[in-house]
Amino acid sequence: MPPNFSARVLRDIKARNGVKANEVARRAYLYVARNQTLPPEVRYQAQLQLNTFGKYTRPTTPKNRCTETGRGRGIISEFGLCRFQFRTKALAGQLAGVRKASW
Amino acid sequence: MAAPVSAVNPSRLAALTRLRCAVFQTSYNPTGVRTGAKYLRARLRGPSMAEYYPPVLTVAKFNRMSHGEFKIDDRHEAQRLADIEEAKRRGKGAPKKAKSAADSRRAGRRR
Repeated sequence: MPPNFSARVLRDIKARNGVKANEVARRAYLYVARNQTLPPEVRYQAQLQLNTFGKYTRPTTPKNRCTETGRGRGIISEFGLCRFQFRTKALAGQLAGVRKASW
Repeated sequence: MAAPVSAVNPSRLAALTRLRCAVFQTSYNPTGVRTGAKYLRARLRGPSMAEYYPPVLTVAKFNRMSHGEFKIDDRHEAQRLADIEEAKRRGKGAPKKAKSAADSRRAGRRR
């Protein structure tokens, strides 16, 4: 992450920290809500509680962005880099085990 | 080679499954009712999610960490504050925060 990160990266970091902070509580409510052996009223209340969590607590909100440039598309997930940063770093020999193919 | 399955009584098979569950400490759930156990069993994904971006040390962060023992001049921050002062001096500063909804610039806006 560069020192002048974009607002989108900051938002993503916020979402990631929110997920981490609320994960245990969310799991507990999920367990109650999805448990068919519990009475329906209890499960319904648990589902209502789940709905009160904000969007920055859901594990599907964070999006993998480029760790160098913050770009949101064209990310090569094994390296966490966008395609151009991947190319640049690979050609510079900064990615272990990556070499340019030619055939 | 197919084994003769029909020779075994179903209740005996169920008893075997129950016994197997007791031996291997798994829960006996022949009807496959959803207990929500998978949400408790799954690993927590938050910790690995939170460290996706590598940590970055900035001047401000360093100064906070050192508790005043060391201090590096944050030139960019100093320049920013100086620019704000200059803008205020020329009457070009940011407007005051609205104390109520009526003071807000958005109040007179048509929607």
